[in-house]
Amino acid sequence: MSTARLLVWLAGGVLAAAMIFGAIHNQVLPADQAAAGYVAAFVAVTIGVVAWRVRPESRAGLLLAAIPFAGMLSDLSHVFQTSRLAVTIGLATSWLAAPLIAQVVLSYPSGRLSTRLDRVAVATAWLLAAAYGLVFALFYSPRSPVDEEIWSCPRCAIPYTHVAWLNLIGFDRDFNRVVLVVALVLLGLLVRKLLRASPGGRRVVLPLAVAGSFIVVEFTVQMILYGHAVNSWTHPTWFWIVQVAMLSVPAALAVGLIWEGGGRGALAGLVVALERTPPGAVRDALARTLGDPSLELALWLPERTSYVDATGAPITLPSPASGRAVTTLGPADAPVAALIHDPVLLERRGLLAAAGAAAGLALENERLQAELRAQLAELRASRARIVSAGDEERRRLERDLHDGAQQRLLSLGLALQLARAKLDPDVNGAAELLSEADAELRGALDELRELARGIHPAVLTEQGLAAALRSLAHHSPVPVTIAAVPAERVPAPAEAAAYFLVSEALANVAKHARATRVRISVARADRSLLVDVDDDGVGGADPSHGSGLRGLADRVYALDGRLQLQSSPGSGTHLHAEIPCA
Amino acid sequence: MLVVDDHPSFRSFARRLLESASFAVVHEASDGASALAAVRALRPDVVLLDVLLPDTTGFELAEAWSADPQGPVVVLTSSRSEVDLGTALARSGACGFIAKRDLTAAAFAALVNGARA
Repeated sequence: MSTARLLVWLAGGVLAAAMIFGAIHNQVLPADQAAAGYVAAFVAVTIGVVAWRVRPESRAGLLLAAIPFAGMLSDLSHVFQTSRLAVTIGLATSWLAAPLIAQVVLSYPSGRLSTRLDRVAVATAWLLAAAYGLVFALFYSPRSPVDEEIWSCPRCAIPYTHVAWLNLIGFDRDFNRVVLVVALVLLGLLVRKLLRASPGGRRVVLPLAVAGSFIVVEFTVQMILYGHAVNSWTHPTWFWIVQVAMLSVPAALAVGLIWEGGGRGALAGLVVALERTPPGAVRDALARTLGDPSLELALWLPERTSYVDATGAPITLPSPASGRAVTTLGPADAPVAALIHDPVLLERRGLLAAAGAAAGLALENERLQAELRAQLAELRASRARIVSAGDEERRRLERDLHDGAQQRLLSLGLALQLARAKLDPDVNGAAELLSEADAELRGALDELRELARGIHPAVLTEQGLAAALRSLAHHSPVPVTIAAVPAERVPAPAEAAAYFLVSEALANVAKHARATRVRISVARADRSLLVDVDDDGVGGADPSHGSGLRGLADRVYALDGRLQLQSSPGSGTHLHAEIPCA
Repeated sequence: MLVVDDHPSFRSFARRLLESASFAVVHEASDGASALAAVRALRPDVVLLDVLLPDTTGFELAEAWSADPQGPVVVLTSSRSEVDLGTALARSGACGFIAKRDLTAAAFAALVNGARA
């Protein structure tokens, strides 16, 4: 226990003992009331100090310990009526406990007021308490008309300021009405806070909220019955009610702490649920157990040193300023996962840790699956990149062939023509030789063109699928009907896949099918290209034989597409492909 | 007439081939921009125009010139076959097409004379 906490606790004990002694010695309270009231105050201080120790980062514990302190300080003016200092302190702190209670209840569990309205309301409470304390410390006079509800002190707090016969009784009554309004506003804010909280958060906040509401209701009843706040020292019934109300706040906190333990009962359910949990649903089970539907599960992938969700997509953990809290599960140097959750769950850290431990094996499983999915996604992307890089390389090769060798051969053809024109008359059969050379050249050009077309048809790059398919149909030895083909361009990878698919299919038809006609149809569906190639040949094509179709299938799969081949003997071959093109 | 092609050796042989058939080749251009400038400056009657140029396509040039009543008669040529060029050929407004491998003085003259008739 830190020195500060020890000092606060000891000061609480000393003050409570002094108050009991003073109240009995000065005969302002019966012994039982004095003892009960201030022992309760000391218990409240103790609970506050314990809460402060359990949750040092939250101000809730410190504020909680401050409430009974404020209550005891304000009693000083009644208990030690002969001491100027005690009376002055008592008058100045008359209403100090009220804004403290408002702040503790509204800011629980984080210790911070989360909305602007909350801050304004609590600040108003502080201002009112300070104004009241200032007015009474300066102007309260024992010579003012004595009201049974207001205790007169035999000595003036600060005598020199008591120059006027101020009617502080009237001021006190008016002040009570203002306090009632502020208290009801604070009650409204408390209800709002409860309504907005997640189910798990509500469970954490509820006991303290009930205690806070009890105090407001108690004050409201006093106002309705008497028109002003009751001096509980002269009404034994109200004395006990007020004691219960004041003790209810720390008691509620204690209940909250016990409930956290009770929350572990839900863990048994979690363990059972996780046994039957399908992959990806560990998050749901944890969200149910912790009562936070907004819970997100981030799985740690050591190889990528990053968090991903169950589908393998990367997740960035939110910053503390984002209003979300993060709890990492597993050892600090090798986390398994992180929970992104409602900050109020930090109040149930034990439950969080226990839930994480219970979910350990399932989390590990989930993490492996996420890793697998991430790798799959990466693989898919890299496969598509490889195909696309291959296409680009083929395009470049075709361009090089076209711009280089082909152009030179074409020039050579013109040169042969010119040479033959100049050989008139023919010398020693040279013209015939030139004709043979020309024929040879044409053969070379044909082969080169077929080679280039096979590598990557320029017409596809330049004019798109429709023109490229017409060119394919033109060169096919088996008559081809193009039933449909989209006129607009589609993304290059899909275009190339569709083209090479049809090209390979037509080559197979020419080689094996003994077909009399082929029908090609390419249609643009929602987000994919549907390619159909049907022939009326002998059928019996088997994709496991020959690398051509196999390679095409890989190309289609690389784009996440699908390929179906129906080729029973005697009923032709029907090739159907779906090629995604977003 | 004007010869437009980005391959210098092809340009030079084509020029000599056409000159042997009594076409007066007044200029050679290697890209679209210089071809446009040459047509404006020299007003050739006939242009032998390659389809694939570094900065544009022969189709676009042919289309631009065909809109001009004073424009030259355009014969497109390419190392690709007619079927590979698709429908753009018909739309271009060129008077004809000869694949480079089929380019002879006689075939060229026949196309040009057919267009002038």
